[in-house]
Amino acid sequence: MILKFNTNENPFSLVAHVQKAAIKGLKEINRYSELKYLYEFKTLLGNYNNVPSDNIVVNHGSDLLLREFINIFSKDRKIITVNPSFFPISKYALQQARKLTKIQLSPPDFKFNHHLLLNELNEPSLIVIDNPNNPTGKILADDNLVEKILQNENTLLLIDEAYYEFSGQTFAAMIKKYPNLAITRTMDKAFSLAGLRLGYLLIGDFFKDHFSDFPAFLSKPTLFAATEALKNPVYMTANVNKIMSEKTRLGNELAQIGIQVFQGSANFILIKSNLPDFGKRLMDAEILIKDLSDEWIEGFYRISMGLPEENNALLSIITKICADD
Amino acid sequence: MNTMKKVGLIVNPIAGMGGSVGLKGTDGDAYKKTIELGAKPTTPQRIEDTLALIKRDDLSFFVAPGKMGEVYLKKFNFKYEVVSKIDEETNADDTKKIIREMLKDGIDLLIFVGGDGTARDVYDVLGLSTPVLGIPSGVKMFSPVFALSTYAAAEIINNLNEEVVEKEVLDIDEEAFREGKLGAKLYGYLNVPKNSNFLQSKKETSKLSKAEKISKEEIAQYIIEKIENDQLYILGPGTTLKTIAEKMGVGKTLLGIDAVFNRELVGTDLNENGLMELIVKYDNIKIIVTPIGGNGFIFGRASKQFTPKILNLIGKDNIIVVATEDKISRLECLRVDTGDAKTDTIFKGHVKVITGCKSETIIEVK
Repeated sequence: MILKFNTNENPFSLVAHVQKAAIKGLKEINRYSELKYLYEFKTLLGNYNNVPSDNIVVNHGSDLLLREFINIFSKDRKIITVNPSFFPISKYALQQARKLTKIQLSPPDFKFNHHLLLNELNEPSLIVIDNPNNPTGKILADDNLVEKILQNENTLLLIDEAYYEFSGQTFAAMIKKYPNLAITRTMDKAFSLAGLRLGYLLIGDFFKDHFSDFPAFLSKPTLFAATEALKNPVYMTANVNKIMSEKTRLGNELAQIGIQVFQGSANFILIKSNLPDFGKRLMDAEILIKDLSDEWIEGFYRISMGLPEENNALLSIITKICADD
Repeated sequence: MNTMKKVGLIVNPIAGMGGSVGLKGTDGDAYKKTIELGAKPTTPQRIEDTLALIKRDDLSFFVAPGKMGEVYLKKFNFKYEVVSKIDEETNADDTKKIIREMLKDGIDLLIFVGGDGTARDVYDVLGLSTPVLGIPSGVKMFSPVFALSTYAAAEIINNLNEEVVEKEVLDIDEEAFREGKLGAKLYGYLNVPKNSNFLQSKKETSKLSKAEKISKEEIAQYIIEKIENDQLYILGPGTTLKTIAEKMGVGKTLLGIDAVFNRELVGTDLNENGLMELIVKYDNIKIIVTPIGGNGFIFGRASKQFTPKILNLIGKDNIIVVATEDKISRLECLRVDTGDAKTDTIFKGHVKVITGCKSETIIEVK
């Protein structure tokens, strides 16, 4: 059986009560979702994030929302982002943006120099950052930086908080104060709903008009499952705690066998290994990790957490690879 | 219709022998010393491992004779023809001679087994004319033209397509080495099959970036639009700078430093003295450089003609750095190592690198 550590999924399967809700949706799948269920879900999301439900946009997958957002709001602006990160900055967005400026995060500390970013805000800009950053797991923004950015009226800020439930850090409280702030979230990861794809945007008032007619029809299984998950989120918190605890254990054990580990604040760890064919050798052992050298620096790999026994299997294979070399 | 792929295969039978006896290679006279020290060939196992894993039956080999290829290939069931003849003792001239003969047969790909020295010999004959795949067997392997392993080489061959990317041919900087420093020097560029998973430095495929060539064209276009009259532009080495020069309408040396003024070449393959003469003659000067892929050096490696004296006279504010997005996103940082700590300090900090007509990356220079 192939063990997957490459896509930042939640290793814990869905709890029975949420599964039951999804199945209920499946049984009614010949009918469109009714708006009352969508409103109920958005109210729950509003409570969960302490943001008015009018300032929330939902859809299947936060990737789609990110893409839509960047496409709309890059027009005549400079897009500022960091590298590495994996935002869907489409050709369309690049064509209509004035410029794309990337700020490189460099190992070993991946420090994000806030001054470099603030110095760039001399023209209408759209800043897109992930917090924590994928793949470094590094927290990039703090309240001070976000406030300074948002005080520029000509600047729009989009923060991807896909890993909020793991990092515990969010800027959602600033949505009410700053119309130029938007945040993307997902229920795919912490809530174990990756297969249903549930993403949402928390938007400041500036963006509301643009999303007023945005189609928000979720499939019934998704809508029912996500609603139930938010009504009873205890399982999510318990799983997040287990994942973070496994992450610490796996990171420590990998470090002990000589792998360079960057723990970060998300549900994955970043590692560096100069062993030849490292990713390939794991793949031969039916273990998939994310080889980042396709798009970034050679030798870096991202590993998401599996179940404890799966993490043990990963450790055992990596130990063997290290010993063979 | 003949759909067989014509593949040249040449092996440097002595590559890698120096490593076991503590030498830095087997180039030139070093080979004799490796023999005296009792070194054993490492190449046979390497090439045979790769050949054993090739699953294609549409390859037609043009192989170098004897221990330069034939003895390994004949153990397998590939279709092949032997090219040229060799003596008992082989050298770099044999490599070059045989590759030239293979070219007459019109090979689609050259597989070579060796190290950086062999890559340089291959570059001397092929340049960018024919794609190559290096199977690592040398002591020195700075050049990202090599597959990551023998296994990886087979995978690349099994999944060949028409797409190629340029890779640097790097070798030990002998001058620096004599001064006790270990560094790589740029010798040229070879085309290798596009295969992001296995080639060393893995710079090819990216969801983020455009094809390398288009990216370089875009950078060149941007520079052309920004060019000012009565300004001297000193262009460093590399294909990105060559593309810029071509857009300016001038011919540029690939590895040298050239100078352009009002779209006319006013200096070619310049050394420190040549650069000094231009600095005296012209008031407004800018240097355009691109970092070396993999290690990120902008000064102090491939373009030592930019001495501390030259750089200090021109000044940090007059340096323009360009690089494809693909190259820059794979660098940890940019680097300077001019040999003068004060100069290095001046050039450290963050710089904006032009990566396209509308894109830039801010990166630290260390």
